[in-house]
Amino acid sequence: MKSANAPTTRIGLAFRAGPIAFMALAIATALPTQAQNYIDVEGERAAAQSSTGTSTGAVSYGVGDAPSAAVTRTLPPPTPPASDNIGGLFNQVQQLQQEVMRLNGIVEQQAYEIRQLKEQSLERYLDIDRRLAAGGGGAAVVGGTDQTAGSATSSNPTATVGNKGSTVTEQPGEGEAYRAAYALVRGQEFDAAVTAFTRFLQNYPDGRYAPNAHYWLGELYLVITPADPEAARQSFMLLLNEYPDNAKIPDALYKLGRVHYIKGNSDRAREYLNRVRREYPDSSAARLAGDFIDENL
Amino acid sequence: MLLTTLRITLCLLLMFAPLARAQLVIEITQGVDDPTPIAVVPFAWAGAEAPPEDLAQVVQEDFERSGQFAPVPRADMLGFPTTEAEIFYRDWRAIQSEYVLIGQVSAQGGQLAVRYELYDVLRQARIAEGDLSMPVGEARMLAHRVSDAVYEKLTGIPGAFATRLIYVSVTRNPAGKDYFRLTLADSDGARPIVLLESREPIMSPSWSPDGTQVAYVSFETGRPAIFRQVLATGEREQLTNYRGLNSSPAWSPDGNTLAMVLSKDGSPDIYLMDLATRRLTRVTRHYAIDTEPSWMPDGGSFLFTSDRGGRPQIYSYDLRSGLTERVTFEGVYNARARVAQDGRNVVLVHQRDGQFQIAIHDLVTDRLQVLTNTELDESPSIAPNGSMVLYATKFGDRGILSAVSVDGGIKFRLPARSGDVREPAWSPYVNY
Repeated sequence: MKSANAPTTRIGLAFRAGPIAFMALAIATALPTQAQNYIDVEGERAAAQSSTGTSTGAVSYGVGDAPSAAVTRTLPPPTPPASDNIGGLFNQVQQLQQEVMRLNGIVEQQAYEIRQLKEQSLERYLDIDRRLAAGGGGAAVVGGTDQTAGSATSSNPTATVGNKGSTVTEQPGEGEAYRAAYALVRGQEFDAAVTAFTRFLQNYPDGRYAPNAHYWLGELYLVITPADPEAARQSFMLLLNEYPDNAKIPDALYKLGRVHYIKGNSDRAREYLNRVRREYPDSSAARLAGDFIDENL
Repeated sequence: MLLTTLRITLCLLLMFAPLARAQLVIEITQGVDDPTPIAVVPFAWAGAEAPPEDLAQVVQEDFERSGQFAPVPRADMLGFPTTEAEIFYRDWRAIQSEYVLIGQVSAQGGQLAVRYELYDVLRQARIAEGDLSMPVGEARMLAHRVSDAVYEKLTGIPGAFATRLIYVSVTRNPAGKDYFRLTLADSDGARPIVLLESREPIMSPSWSPDGTQVAYVSFETGRPAIFRQVLATGEREQLTNYRGLNSSPAWSPDGNTLAMVLSKDGSPDIYLMDLATRRLTRVTRHYAIDTEPSWMPDGGSFLFTSDRGGRPQIYSYDLRSGLTERVTFEGVYNARARVAQDGRNVVLVHQRDGQFQIAIHDLVTDRLQVLTNTELDESPSIAPNGSMVLYATKFGDRGILSAVSVDGGIKFRLPARSGDVREPAWSPYVNY
């Protein structure tokens, strides 16, 4: 009576005492209710095993005994896999139940988060809508539109204008010149693009898009034929030294690592790749650097 | 013979001594920053014998316990007016009391009648008055009803002083089994009455919606069983005797159905028992633990605790649609929800930084706010006016009751003079 009582006594206290006790409760409640089935099948299994045990027996051999046909016949049958015995199945079901509960919790949590995100994005949309309707939206759009062009290497195209760039005002004609050069990149006219960006930097050495131009030159020197890794390295180093706060820095560091790898200097390559992982751990460049190290270094 | 009588007397004395000490004492630990001063003047008494109770004192203590008022000590009062003509506003301004409550009490044929009048000192005007009466034996309850009326006039919220509590007190017995007592007391802890005494655990007391009965779990039969008991007569009835768990009874708002947790069919699930026919309906079916049901005020759904998501969280079950929906998402542990009468605020036990604290979850905004800063808080129960939450906690090594306002601003403790107290349940409003 006392033992029948014990698990249920714990039940009432379980939520009080915390999650550990809750787990204990889970186990304690599972046992008395399912114990009947469990013990029965265990018993059957034991009976089955003991019956096979008597037929095969425990056979022992003398040292001198030569193996005979009889021996092979008396070998016990192979142990059934866990899924074939019901006790094992019971454990598997329990494990599955716990796994399903855990997954259920994750699904519930994620459904909740999605619902929240939807609400938040709706709120944000309504907020923007309200601001635009109020007439203050014009200025905010300019910065974004000319930077929307993506690139194969940068997963962060809208951030190409970094801290430094944003403080520099655009010079007359600069935007058009930059966009014209960039169009050549998109059109895969790499040699023409190198010329265009070089001219751009001569005309607007301190322009708002100068750091971007340095970066693209670095990229371009690697894709032209023949490639010019040293020129690429210089472009990236220029960007690194002149515009240390630029948003392109993580990408430039990653590219520098690759440039040094191409040039055959694995140690320097590893240095830059590790630097981007250390200093910009959340950037996509850090992830690329990690992959590159794993694959090549 | 004499020896036997003496022994019986001794036994009786020993039995009743702890009962007398089981009374709760109130210690206010935190009130509002700027409580309103109010003077509760001793009420006039018109009766041949001595008054059964100092009603004004009871009212004064009610206001003190509210945390929102600062009653003026009697010693500071410059006079004890009992009629409007005797009130000199100058005197009350001098001791900076904003309100003055006076009253007259009279007894007639076993009934106690009180007339109370509330005056605004600044406006020099009467702002409330009323006549109430109750049997002489309910003198304290009569005073609490005066408090309720005055409190509502001053705050706009109905008072919950004229309500009662049930709780389980445990007297530890180092020599053997502990003593468990289901105790009924006024909301201020006064007048404790033992409803049930047992050497086996008593748990989960729950009020019927009309406040005339309680349901609880008792292990007196050697295993958990759900009982209900009529407060007035002490008459009781065993409702369940199933194999496994029989726990967490919760009365539906219409009083016809008792939700409960049974594990007779496998894992703990929530069942509804029709109290008239005793028909049992299984509501939740899940191999996880479903427990601690708490009805929404409309009776169409209830909240419960389940670990079907791997961790205990609060879910709601809609009886009309049969849909289960998760309610709480903040933190890894939310359990034992109790819904307030407004159907919006839910008090629960929330785990934060490894500590179990009482929190309030707003069903409309989905916000969760932790109310307490103690470590092992449990069993929250909300006052019928939704203003205060009563819960069990540890103070030193003892289990005590504590209360906190739903905004977390007011806190007080109700430790028993001896033993442990746990699982409080605040009564609904009772019609007198």
